[in-house]
Amino acid sequence: MFFATLEGLRRFNIPHKFEFVSIITLYAKWIRNGRLQVTPEWNREGLRFAVQDPCKLVRQGLGDEVAEDLRYVVKQVVGEENFVETWPNRSNNFCCGGGGGAIQAGFTENRMKYGKEKFDQFDRVKPDVVITPCHNCHTQIMQLCDHYGGRWKTTHLWNWLVKALVR
Amino acid sequence: MRLKKGTVLVVGGGISGVQAALDLADSGFYVHLVERQAAIGGRMSQLDKTFPTNDCSACILSPKLVECGRHLNINLLTLSELTELEGEPGNFKATVIQHPRYVDMSKCIACGLCAEKCPKKVPDEFNLGLNKRKAIYLTYPQAVPLKYAIDEKRCIYLKKPGRCGFCAEVCPAGAINFEDRDMEHHLEVGSVILSPGFSAFDPKSLDFTGYGQFPNVVTSMEFERLLSPSGPCMGDIERPSDQKEPRRIAWLQCIGSRDINRACRGYCSSVCCMYAIKQAVIAKEHAHGPLEASIFFMDMRTHGKEFEAYYNRARNEGIKFHRSRVHTIFPGKNENLILRYSDERGNLLNKEFDMVVLSVGLELDKAGLELVSRLGIELDHDNFIATRNFQPSATSRDGIFVCGAASEPKDIPQSVVEAGAAALECEKLLFEARWQDTKKKAFPEERDISGEPPRIGVFVCHCGINIASVIDVKAVTEYAKGLPGVIFAQDNLFTCSQDTINQMAEIIKSKRLNRVVVASCTPRTHEPLFQETLREAGINKYLFEMANIRDQDSWVHMNNPEGATKKAMDLVRMAVAKVREDSPLPYNSVPVTKAALVVGGGVGGMTAALSLADQGFPVTLVEKKETLGGHAKKLYRIWQGEVVAPYLNELVSRVENHENIRVCCNTTVKDVKGSVGRFATTLSDNSEVQHGAAILAIGAESYKPDNYLYGRNPNVHTLLEMSQKLMKEPDSLKNTNQAVFIHCVGSRVPERPYCSRVCCTHAIDQALKFKELNPQMDIFMLYRDIRTYGKREWLYHKARSAGIIFVRYEPDRLPLVKEESGEIIVQIYDPISDRDLFLNPDILVLATAVVPRDDTGELSKFFKCAVNSDGFLLEAHMKLRPVDFATEGVFLAGLCHYPKPMDETIAQAQAAAKRAAAILARDLIPAESITAQVDPKKCTRCSVCSRVCPYGAISLSDDAGTAVVDISLCKGCGACVAGCRSDAIILKNLDNLGIMEEVEALFME
Amino acid sequence: MPKKANVKLKKIKAKIKEHINEAVPQSNINYCLTCGLCVSGCPASGLEGLDPRKFLRLIVLGQDEEILGTDWIYSCTMCARCKYACPMGIDIGRIVYELRGMRPKDKRPPNLQRSCDLQKKSNSTGIPNEDFVWVVGDVLEEVHQNEPDWADLKAPIDKKGAKYYLNQNAKEPTVEPEEMVPLWKILHAAGIDWTYSSKWWDGANYCLFTGDPQDWEYTVRKQAETVDSLGCRYYINTE
Repeated sequence: MFFATLEGLRRFNIPHKFEFVSIITLYAKWIRNGRLQVTPEWNREGLRFAVQDPCKLVRQGLGDEVAEDLRYVVKQVVGEENFVETWPNRSNNFCCGGGGGAIQAGFTENRMKYGKEKFDQFDRVKPDVVITPCHNCHTQIMQLCDHYGGRWKTTHLWNWLVKALVR
Repeated sequence: MRLKKGTVLVVGGGISGVQAALDLADSGFYVHLVERQAAIGGRMSQLDKTFPTNDCSACILSPKLVECGRHLNINLLTLSELTELEGEPGNFKATVIQHPRYVDMSKCIACGLCAEKCPKKVPDEFNLGLNKRKAIYLTYPQAVPLKYAIDEKRCIYLKKPGRCGFCAEVCPAGAINFEDRDMEHHLEVGSVILSPGFSAFDPKSLDFTGYGQFPNVVTSMEFERLLSPSGPCMGDIERPSDQKEPRRIAWLQCIGSRDINRACRGYCSSVCCMYAIKQAVIAKEHAHGPLEASIFFMDMRTHGKEFEAYYNRARNEGIKFHRSRVHTIFPGKNENLILRYSDERGNLLNKEFDMVVLSVGLELDKAGLELVSRLGIELDHDNFIATRNFQPSATSRDGIFVCGAASEPKDIPQSVVEAGAAALECEKLLFEARWQDTKKKAFPEERDISGEPPRIGVFVCHCGINIASVIDVKAVTEYAKGLPGVIFAQDNLFTCSQDTINQMAEIIKSKRLNRVVVASCTPRTHEPLFQETLREAGINKYLFEMANIRDQDSWVHMNNPEGATKKAMDLVRMAVAKVREDSPLPYNSVPVTKAALVVGGGVGGMTAALSLADQGFPVTLVEKKETLGGHAKKLYRIWQGEVVAPYLNELVSRVENHENIRVCCNTTVKDVKGSVGRFATTLSDNSEVQHGAAILAIGAESYKPDNYLYGRNPNVHTLLEMSQKLMKEPDSLKNTNQAVFIHCVGSRVPERPYCSRVCCTHAIDQALKFKELNPQMDIFMLYRDIRTYGKREWLYHKARSAGIIFVRYEPDRLPLVKEESGEIIVQIYDPISDRDLFLNPDILVLATAVVPRDDTGELSKFFKCAVNSDGFLLEAHMKLRPVDFATEGVFLAGLCHYPKPMDETIAQAQAAAKRAAAILARDLIPAESITAQVDPKKCTRCSVCSRVCPYGAISLSDDAGTAVVDISLCKGCGACVAGCRSDAIILKNLDNLGIMEEVEALFME
Repeated sequence: MPKKANVKLKKIKAKIKEHINEAVPQSNINYCLTCGLCVSGCPASGLEGLDPRKFLRLIVLGQDEEILGTDWIYSCTMCARCKYACPMGIDIGRIVYELRGMRPKDKRPPNLQRSCDLQKKSNSTGIPNEDFVWVVGDVLEEVHQNEPDWADLKAPIDKKGAKYYLNQNAKEPTVEPEEMVPLWKILHAAGIDWTYSSKWWDGANYCLFTGDPQDWEYTVRKQAETVDSLGCRYYINTE
């Protein structure tokens, strides 16, 4: 979890020489400066993509800036027209319900109830794919989709980025 | 010592600045009024209606603006900024930069051809960008000065000379001047008043509101413009996404207020609760079908005079109030919006709306902040101009005063009060220089019209769309042209606008009119303006009649345009018939007794007395009790923390030792005779006081409850009793384990529906004092709405921070208080935890109502003033004349007007003194011209007239052998005319002849 | 659902509130205006008969036993959406964290606690470090064999002086190792000099959620030491 390290370093004043960064920030930087070349050409069928803003990365981590980076990368990879936005979004996005150790904690019924909000949010825009940059979100959103009968596929970002690579 | 300047600089031309300028200019000071925009009027000019009277904002403001624009002793500097200020109180040197207008004000006739031709469309800031205007523009239709201006950042020509320039080509007056440049004015002034006003909070940064993303989420300022007849949709509310009329509107309160997190503004903006209710009420009126209005709020803050009644009325009219703050606005279908909210017990609900209005807070804007920092004036921690409670309009720099929302968010009446207070401070500083720098108004000699046949001019007003949307104004104008005696008639968009007024004067002269009829709004606000125009045009001002085709026609018959047009014609015909019979009347005046009577020796009365006495006016101060001081004696400290006793002692001592003040304790008013300028008041010791003006500041009382064990258990106190106990024996609280405060005891109940305004703040401050004395004490505040308005919100914040627990109750579930074996048990239902709390206080404090004194009504009768339904004294106009009575020369201040904290009482007392000083500063003041005349041939000396005259103006003269009218006392009320059995008394221009002509005209077709 | 109870308050004994005020004064627990904004913004509202506002209210009223007993603190994901818009900026997530820490270890959700305990040893799934190293090598070899285009793909471990250090959520090497490959390819395509570590490589950190700051600190400290010992300039978090 991005926040665990970011906030851990800060709160416990842990000495370190490195700079702590998110892979999302780097993807965006590398695409912007041409280091990574991507094309949405693979997406001929026009698969529609939505994203989840992980709370620990966005709201509690780097804020709207990284949320913008995430969207930038996704749009470059899948085609701008194939990106669908949900509301609320970015720093104000809903937690999927898998955070805070909820997936490990049990209380599955509560977790599904909690996630109804997230399910509805995606269900309203009916994407083909939901991209989740966080493993907890990934597990939770996949389970929500099953539980409430959604139709989308829940995936990480790298699977699509790799597809879009121009080498 | 250098001679002081008799000139004042007022910075900011909103309502408070305009009022301060008028107050000063009317009492012997010259004023430079500096305004950043191209026109004065400020925020008030952007508002549709105003609460709680639902007056049309522009309509009540406009006469003041016009007066300001025409005032001989006010120099209006628009598009101007104060850049430097050097010197000291009494002698400042100010540098004002006036930015170019590119339109020669002396030539522009505001015909609008320039704007019609201008090809550059830009967002209209006056309408908050909801529509477009041109790069050459008039700020708003009633703008003062009514002159076009070029927006230099947008003008094509100014950016690229050689391109465009159409405006200059079409201007018939040759008023366009592209060579206009910044002008520097060096002004010598004695003091400065800052009234830079406020800006509305920009909610763009609050992503969860969806503002800027969802077109149908608007701010309350934008909504004012959508409501306004002069706004982008001319008052028929359209939502931005599809220009359809919304059926469901929600208001979200506290956007940019009471928010220390995202908005970084912890204070309460004071006015938003009321304006939201007002907008909901007016929106329902404007709607062409049913409109569902819902207001989402935290605490409903309707703490002003008549506000609670307005709130209750709104609830009865079906406006829904949800006590809940909404986290996020969701988009719905068709650009609708969905609000999810929680009720008090945590039940989640969803509701769909067509439109959401964000009730944005008030703040000092960037330009205001820059001005303040240039002048080196201190700000408070909310970035408003810092003031102190005991001298509410003083800033940190001597000789510079502040009024209006720049020192704290506040409503219009309070801004007007402060304008008076700031003007008073200037006057106290500069009174020696009164009349020193002023110019004198000279009207042209009046034309003798005797023997002339009637030459009547009729001016029919559109009042924007107020009249013209219902009445066929052109048809009425054409009709007027055919009426007997009418030689001229025309229609005007706004007859009260400055250019129309000037044009009217020109027409009177050029057409040699000798009678004028204006068919427009109401004589209540506009008659004096038009009458003065007649004088300026050289005819007697009583050769004038007004046909009320707005208030009594277009507004009440809006669903029947044909009938309304016919009625307008009837009204015009009647006015023309009447004006034909009108004759010139003399301009009477009365000499002024340059002394004042102040009734009430509390802080308000003493402040008023000193304010006048310090300027050299003798004051008689009458106090019913044995000593001066009033309620302030019972107060420990006021809300910004200043301790009262030292201030009060100093005040009493100054009053008692002042050479110009005669203090009469143990004294009341027994009788009042006379009128403005020359009152004669008999006191209870039978002495008589001669005075030119009077100020009533008789205070109020604390309600004594009959419930909650009050009077039956020694540990139950009212706030004021507790306050005294705290001063006398603070240590008595050391061992108190638990204290409970109950709010709204006797306030906001059916018998006393108003809010007592001061109790929330006082109770919370007292609870904090408890905590200071004993940090371990548990304190519970049982409340209905916490009303710590303005910066007082920080006290509430401090109280919560200190661990004081607030539990809300509803009137249908009051706290239960009982005594069990000597202990007090309080049972209260807490909606948040959804359970009953059982408390065991050692002390129970009741925040009881402020109630008017029993003798308020009696005193008001002496001065022919009114009281409202709650028993408080009723001012002349709740919005714009908050310290005046309808009776001239009598003013009010303090708790007898409405419950209020000491700082507001002080400001109001100063404002009342300012208004009184405007009378006392003159040797003569105008008196009524329409006075009673006795026909000696018919008078039978029956004395009915003298007995019915409420002003004591009629006596039976032995010399004349008839009744005789003292015209300086006569108010022209007509009681004697009605009373006279012999038909021997008439009121000139209101006699049978004119009235019968009018009546006959009514039944003529 | 806790049943509706009466609250007798002769003297408030709000130990939890006192503790929170002392330990995390920046949580602003006292500031609450009970406006209900958090309730409408929180997906956990209504679960276990609580919502953020009621949760705070019970703490303030000293209903400590009830608060210590509720499992609502595991329905709240500490996502901080309430704090994001709360007019008083009250950090309810932080308060929940404190309460999770106040639970005795044996009363906490066992799987959550175990994830943290495992992480304190190495990683949250508990696979041995050698297995991680082996899986990475194995998967890489498979790519080399099956995908000629990626014959030069690298997945370095413990490469001193690499510019970037990459952590790895333990889920992939444990249950779906092929999911590691796309990221390697991306880094390769971008020409990035990177490395994994053979210890403290797990990107997840469940000790953030158990409520024991010392556990959280320990795991982050170990990661930081590891990255610094490799001399990497950037520590990339993959989520």
